[in-house]
Amino acid sequence: MADTPAPAIAAPSVRTVTPVMLVALSILGGWLVLALAAPVIAPYDPDAIDILNMLSPPSAAHWFGTDQVGRDVFSRVLFASRVDLLLCVAGVLPPLVIGTTIGLLSGYFGGLVDTVFMRIYDLTVAFPFFVLVLAIVGVLGPGLLNFILALTLVGWVSYARLVRAQVLTIRESEYIQAARCLGYPPAAILAHHVLPNAIGPVIAYAVSDAVLVMLAGASFGFLGMGAQPPLAEWGVMIADGQAFVQQAWWICLFPGLAAISLGLGFALLGDGLGQLQRRGVTA
Amino acid sequence: MSGLRNGMPPLLEVKDLSVSFGEFAAVKNVSFALRPGEILGIVGESGSGKSVTCRAVMRLLAAAARAEGSVTLEGRDLLALGEDELCAIRGRDIGMIFQNPASHLDPLRRIGEQVAAPMIRHLGITRREGLKRAVALLDDVGIREPEKRARSYPHEFSGGMKQRAMIAAAIGCRPKLLIADEPTTALDVTVQARILHLLRDLNRRTGLAMILISHDLGVVADICSQVVVMRNGEVVEQGPIDDVINRPRHPYTKLLIESQPGRKTYGTADGPDGGKPLLSVEKLSVSFSTGGGLLGGLGGGGAFKALDGIDLEIGAGETVGIVGESGSGKSTLARSIIRLNTPGGGAIRLDGQDIGALSGDALTAFRRRVQMVFQNPYDSLNPRLTIGEAVAEPIWRHGLADRKTAQKEAEALLEMVELPASLYDRKPRQLSGGQCQRVGLARALSLKPQLLIADEITSALDVTTQAQILELLVRLQRERSLTLIYISHDLSVVSSLCQRVYVFKAGRVVEQGVAQQVLSRPQHPYTQALVGSLARLPAHTGTISQPV
Repeated sequence: MADTPAPAIAAPSVRTVTPVMLVALSILGGWLVLALAAPVIAPYDPDAIDILNMLSPPSAAHWFGTDQVGRDVFSRVLFASRVDLLLCVAGVLPPLVIGTTIGLLSGYFGGLVDTVFMRIYDLTVAFPFFVLVLAIVGVLGPGLLNFILALTLVGWVSYARLVRAQVLTIRESEYIQAARCLGYPPAAILAHHVLPNAIGPVIAYAVSDAVLVMLAGASFGFLGMGAQPPLAEWGVMIADGQAFVQQAWWICLFPGLAAISLGLGFALLGDGLGQLQRRGVTA
Repeated sequence: MSGLRNGMPPLLEVKDLSVSFGEFAAVKNVSFALRPGEILGIVGESGSGKSVTCRAVMRLLAAAARAEGSVTLEGRDLLALGEDELCAIRGRDIGMIFQNPASHLDPLRRIGEQVAAPMIRHLGITRREGLKRAVALLDDVGIREPEKRARSYPHEFSGGMKQRAMIAAAIGCRPKLLIADEPTTALDVTVQARILHLLRDLNRRTGLAMILISHDLGVVADICSQVVVMRNGEVVEQGPIDDVINRPRHPYTKLLIESQPGRKTYGTADGPDGGKPLLSVEKLSVSFSTGGGLLGGLGGGGAFKALDGIDLEIGAGETVGIVGESGSGKSTLARSIIRLNTPGGGAIRLDGQDIGALSGDALTAFRRRVQMVFQNPYDSLNPRLTIGEAVAEPIWRHGLADRKTAQKEAEALLEMVELPASLYDRKPRQLSGGQCQRVGLARALSLKPQLLIADEITSALDVTTQAQILELLVRLQRERSLTLIYISHDLSVVSSLCQRVYVFKAGRVVEQGVAQQVLSRPQHPYTQALVGSLARLPAHTGTISQPV
């Protein structure tokens, strides 16, 4: 007879989707569909200038009105979502990959590598996030690509720090010692045993980081340091419309609402993932 | 039935007590009685409901729990009392001590104040008087220099001293009943013996009635007069301790007694005499720097010697035990042998070859020959991998087979450690501790090692599970002619399993020799103390030799 039977507790499924996540996923899913289908849904060419219809308020013909050169705001909001969604991914993935790799190495091997990276970390967090990104973009010159480069240069440290903290505790666990004792190569231990157990909080953080990136993208567009006009981007659209906000509020309002809703979606998803994480830990 | 003498009303009477958490019934219809001046033991494995029972008596259950039945202390039903009345009883009429004294002492307050606090609160005495009595109590519980020690903080106390301080705080108001929940589980065996002695002494001197909860029948048999055996929330047997141990009626009680370490000897295969040793350790020293932090590099001074000139030899096919208390360096030795830490001096040789010099292919070959099973059943398995994957991984990583064949071999290995094939796809958290330990064994054996190191592999397990794992270990050792190093704090387990033992203390070997001799005629004073503090069941018909 084997020893005590396996606990009959059906471990609460970590994959359970909470109501909060459901809301978040439907917002994000909605935007994804809109972005993909923008050329089909959009009634006008987002860049088509129509001087005769400039600054016309929302109507049946132009749901969100038109801007100062007569471009359809609805079409531009739709097309801008492609830029902004892409920006979220492009602004989150490189720091995530680089930061996670550095965090893994730094936490697992320690020593000089760790010391060097942690001092770079200290240097980076000594400056406010926006100021540093602004400074780097200032040096490199405005533009989406440089903006993403700057985000990566500043953003990886948070991931590295987070992963490193995870790795420090995982490194001491007996299954890692067992893996070393079984003679697995360090790369295999890192990829197969450390990473899967460290990645959970990183994913949750990445989603909330996407909010930051999106806001930064819009802010930099607004400041003229990110996406460049005439490319439709929510921040750029708000910046363009601010001179006319007294007579044509719709130029700024609709891209603003779009940015808020996407940010909310990411924030809620991050919340939900964090909840699952904690539940997974206690389960 | 429980041998109640007439004319003496019970101090505490528990009748048909049931406790449930939602759907789950943790305690079912438990009844027992405790007379003044008696020590009652409650024995059971983890999850048997013994702690929940006592928490119900103290009304310390979580809000989600529902308790039914009656708990009467001198005629008052504790389950019916209001919170105010309860507060007057807790700490005053009933004292309680817990398993982990460190977590029940406030790290920011001096010991004396903490011992005095319940007296100041319940007896209405002044602070000065309370502190004076606290010093006297610390003296009573055997703390030397009590006046000085009363001004110490908890971190300046050892584990045993903390438990003594907890006892002092619990008995300050002269309670009628002391509930001790696994009071010695977190302590080393020699300390355990002294704490048990103290409890028995208190009982004799002051007539204090006690309930002692323990998973260890040996501990209970040592000081209790009555015993209640619990399993799955039910009382399976109760009565005077001698009756229960010598004439157990319930099969579970019998199993519990049989499983006691030292009750039976496992016939491990004898190693060949003479010849060259498989593993030899020469003057091994390992030290850890104690500073560590910011100033660690500057001070440079403090280094803690975990191992201090260890010599030992292990022949092929031998089963050798290494015994010592926590901090004695036995795990450091294991980690050095499998090269998880670097020795500061000395050498470890396998077949005459210095393992410190191995690298590349030679190191990989060494890994295949020497394997280890770890202490913590859950922590030693990657929570993300199914147990089948965990066992198969070493096989394909070492290129001994492709992944598909490795999976087949893993299934065979799991079968060998008596795990049903249906568990192959389970994750560790869906298994019991004993099952996880079997997986750990299967994984270590997947590379077909010559030398297996088992580091406290049963210390996290219940006693009946421990007995099963030991039997499995012996069978595997025989079938695969393994050389086995068994590391444990428990001398009785080691001596029933091993042919030779090494006794470690503070990084040195203080005694070594044939297991039975060390146990029966210990030479070194420390070994004598270890042997003397074994909480064993009263003399029995000798060891049951196990037919294999």
